[in-house]
Amino acid sequence: MHLSINVNTFISVFYKIQKLLFILLVFFSATAYGEEEDEFESFSKAITKNNTAINDPFETYNRKIYKFNDVVDKYFLEKIATGYRFVTPKPVRNSITNFINNLSLPISAVNSVMQGKVDNSLATTSTFLINSTIGIFGLFDVAGQKKITYQPEDFGQTFAVYGLKSSPFLMLPLLGPSTVVDFSGSIANRIVSPTDFDMLNFSLLDSNQRALISATSIVNNREQLLDIIKDIRQNSFDSYAIIRSAYLQRRINQINN
Amino acid sequence: MKIFINLFLFLLLFCSEAFAQNDHIKLFVENIGNEIVKVANNKTLKDAQKKSAIIKIIDQNIDSQWISRFVLGSHYKTIDEAKKAKFAELYRQFMIETYGPKFNSYNGKSFVVNKIEDQKNFFLAKANFYPQGTNNPISIDFRIKEKNQKLFVVDFIAEGVSLLETQRSEFDSAITNLGIDKFLNDLELKTQQLKKANKL
Repeated sequence: MHLSINVNTFISVFYKIQKLLFILLVFFSATAYGEEEDEFESFSKAITKNNTAINDPFETYNRKIYKFNDVVDKYFLEKIATGYRFVTPKPVRNSITNFINNLSLPISAVNSVMQGKVDNSLATTSTFLINSTIGIFGLFDVAGQKKITYQPEDFGQTFAVYGLKSSPFLMLPLLGPSTVVDFSGSIANRIVSPTDFDMLNFSLLDSNQRALISATSIVNNREQLLDIIKDIRQNSFDSYAIIRSAYLQRRINQINN
Repeated sequence: MKIFINLFLFLLLFCSEAFAQNDHIKLFVENIGNEIVKVANNKTLKDAQKKSAIIKIIDQNIDSQWISRFVLGSHYKTIDEAKKAKFAELYRQFMIETYGPKFNSYNGKSFVVNKIEDQKNFFLAKANFYPQGTNNPISIDFRIKEKNQKLFVVDFIAEGVSLLETQRSEFDSAITNLGIDKFLNDLELKTQQLKKANKL
């Protein structure tokens, strides 16, 4: 009798311990899983904290324009850019890039001031003066070699600094990705730029020169993107979504720089 | 006075630990760069050997499992475990076929890690990559995560564009438009096409 009570007690205690162990096991597993989940979520939030959600209310229209641009690019612009790469050596292309960048510096300096970035404005102005003179009309980036660095600023970024940070994404015919604010900014750039449309009548260049610079700039920019766009076409599932995301991230990065 | 000395020693200890951690991460990123250069420039290796060396670098240093979960975004919670596992494996292969040839044709003359930032959930290694024949560096940042006391790269950010975020946005759009089954089929098909196209 005494022995049977002991056995029963032992079995009962054994089951209780087993139950307790099971509960503890479930509890710790759940805690570990929960911690892993929390860690994943907080990391995800940290990665995406700087970027606002994609704002694309005109997506249907934008995708149609994108398709049109893609066809024009494949049969026209890409071929010209490939030919341009073939006939111009890399140092020549670098000088053309420097020359075009140099022309945008006065507007960049003005925008830096409007954004309250006086140091950047001074660095941009110094770069413009050095490269336009010692660098022979901006063909050589002498200032860059002397470690003078600046951040390019445009009206789109200035509008963002004054509160117009988020605006709908736009795919413009022939011009490519933009936003409503950036498109307005690019019009403002053209109105005041002495090398662009000359709407204020103080242009330093005649209309033929302006057309030549615009055309060279388009082909030169496209040449720089040849490998990236080829890669996107080859590896992507939705090239429109990639270009939209990359454009918006880059702009946020430029605004927050 | 003693309190100040103790405080100073404590701060010194804290700072030296932070510096040691930063050096550890800097070394980790620079080692990846050096390993890639070593494989890319090794003329004695055959294509198959190069491929397995690149796969080893990717598997040892990039947390493809974690990335595959992140890039699925909100779809992760709506698909079953079998599809999650299938996606993770397909994504790893896709990554190898996409980035393997790029690592193999790496033509940088130098790669410098300038700064390490502790961003609470991850470390950000800010680096400059100098391609051959130009003085203009390309800015590339690495997001580094510690898992089981080992460091892993989980993201590359080139000129402000994060690979993780771009791919998450792309996959979200593709899954929404195609559905998960069609997307998985397309991913498998594309990976096979890339495998055939890659000489590596």
